[in-house]
Amino acid sequence: MSAFWTTGLPLQGRVADAASAPERVITAEATLTATARDDLRVEPLVSEGDTVAQGAPLLRLRRAHGLVITAPMPGRIAHLDLGPGQRLERIELFHEPDAGRHRHEPPGDETDAAALRALLQTSGLWRSLRSRPFGHVPAPDERPAAIFVMALDTRPGAPSPATALAGDEAAFARGLRALGALASEAVFLCQEQGADLLPASEAVQGLRILESKAVHPWGLAGLQIHRNFPAAPGRPVWDVAAEDVTALGELLGTGYLRDTRLVSVTGSAMRTPVLVRCQPWADLRGLAQGHVRPGPHVILSGSALDGRKARWLRPGDRQAAVLTPEDHAPVDHWFLRALRGASRPLPLIPSAALDRALGGEIPAVPLLRALSAGDAEGLIRLGALSLLAEDLALADYVTRAEPRLSRMLDSLLERIEAEGIA
Amino acid sequence: MIRGLWDRETVAMMLLIAIFPVVALWVMAEGLEAVARLLFFLVVAGVWHVIWMLARAQPPSIAGAMTAICLAMLAPRELGLVALLLSTSFGVVMAELAFGGWGRNVLNPATVTLAFMGFGYPVAPWPDLAVQLGWAAAPAALIGMATGVIAAPLVVSTVLALAVGAVLGVDYAETGTAVAVVLVLLVCDPVASAATRLGRWLNGALFGALAAAFTAHWSGAAPVQAMVSAALLASLAAPLLDELSIALWVRRRRKRFG
Repeated sequence: MSAFWTTGLPLQGRVADAASAPERVITAEATLTATARDDLRVEPLVSEGDTVAQGAPLLRLRRAHGLVITAPMPGRIAHLDLGPGQRLERIELFHEPDAGRHRHEPPGDETDAAALRALLQTSGLWRSLRSRPFGHVPAPDERPAAIFVMALDTRPGAPSPATALAGDEAAFARGLRALGALASEAVFLCQEQGADLLPASEAVQGLRILESKAVHPWGLAGLQIHRNFPAAPGRPVWDVAAEDVTALGELLGTGYLRDTRLVSVTGSAMRTPVLVRCQPWADLRGLAQGHVRPGPHVILSGSALDGRKARWLRPGDRQAAVLTPEDHAPVDHWFLRALRGASRPLPLIPSAALDRALGGEIPAVPLLRALSAGDAEGLIRLGALSLLAEDLALADYVTRAEPRLSRMLDSLLERIEAEGIA
Repeated sequence: MIRGLWDRETVAMMLLIAIFPVVALWVMAEGLEAVARLLFFLVVAGVWHVIWMLARAQPPSIAGAMTAICLAMLAPRELGLVALLLSTSFGVVMAELAFGGWGRNVLNPATVTLAFMGFGYPVAPWPDLAVQLGWAAAPAALIGMATGVIAAPLVVSTVLALAVGAVLGVDYAETGTAVAVVLVLLVCDPVASAATRLGRWLNGALFGALAAAFTAHWSGAAPVQAMVSAALLASLAAPLLDELSIALWVRRRRKRFG
């Protein structure tokens, strides 16, 4: 069911689904980095030089006790850098194929919410969940009103979730059933119109299927949540990628954590787009190697619209963009600098492109005007608590807004949370 | 990260391209005099933009050219130099630059200038627009709608409201050209018109209804003056219509989601 007004921008660059299965690549190194802003305070469970099995716990979070970060691949801890206050800065692993896999004990009763939570938290899968409003990893005792499973990704160059799920339908259905035990009201599955992800034999009771056209931005969880089940404080909504639900299903079935995810590497500096199955925290240079055009390039983890410069695949990302940098340095003159620095944020001119950048159903111009004015209440009234920075990346792209709308939303949400305005 | 196309200046350029058919026919119809008037208003608006850039570090906008075109085409004839300078400065400065430039203003500077001229110098004769300008408004609106800088609901609802007027017996023989030209030049300004879906429908319908009412009942006014007044009132109502549209949208959502 898609509404009449639903529009978006058909963006070029979906990775063509290769006829053969995507190649499995495990890069020699894998690293998780965190900034001071992430404020990831941890208690190390391993030390440098230890050999760890894939899926074995590495770090325990100090803020949310019980949550752990697990090893993405069998390997040796090469670096473990903690900053002041035990804040994680970097943990780096070298691949050791013989280190084996760590088995987690699946609960006997898969509909027991407490046991499921414990499994998710001790296996590290909990960190693939994201809670709205505010977009944090959910607190260990948080109970979501609804969970959105995103089997649709419309970002340019994103890998098709259908390819990611192909062959694992049973595990996917098992994971969906388990999520049903966690959500207090509903579990939604967002998929492309006409997609057939669950065979009839694997029907999941109580699952609500939302079909959307595959135009950006409708493959973003924020837009779907805004339209179908707005998030509010005290009524959190989680979103999770379909592939992580499959991982949950596999974990319940076998006790082993899924060791790869489907990742695409695209962008203007790539000779050919690449579709691989690689481990989380993978080395993006390693993935792109051999496919990059000669010359300078920058690697973003995430899509060309909302990605961030990174050497390593960031935990939530399923794609990387390798771009040719724009090499024109702005003409520097004190007067031009003054003009660039003054009268910010730039005014937004309503246009069809701007309306479409927010999907056509949200009053885009009032929302973005409230945002540039820093009007938290106006923003909440228009449902912005369901949105996160990534949901405005397309509007940023379309309007060349300065400062970026997504960054303004980020800081305004932070303020709303800190001041408890909502 | 990649950046797109539709910043302020692109939209302004696209609007200029959209109204090109009207401008070209106007220059062809009025000849050199049109060019001279256009040049005068370009210089006046441009000087104010530069002054505000130097004094307030407010980047000038190509939308100033749009204002100049509207004024050159629609301003009353035989106004003295002082009157022209005064009213143009008032419109450009008070309606646009003082708010922070195009994109932050509430009313279209050309609409404000023309209304100022109408109130301040009521005896100055308003121009008679050539009939072909009205027809050229159609391709202008089409280009604008196709590129997304002119909101289709605005144009469609105006036409519908005018059609309702015609059914009720309003005769547009005299004002038709002015309605069409004012619609594409002033009412369809994306900044000064409503920006929500329902708001746009209402905004256009309001302009159409006012245009029909003024045609039928405002016997003493020149067509351009009547339509500029209709545009001013419709533009003043735009924020209210937007607010109404948002209130309804919020209510509908509250009903649906609790």
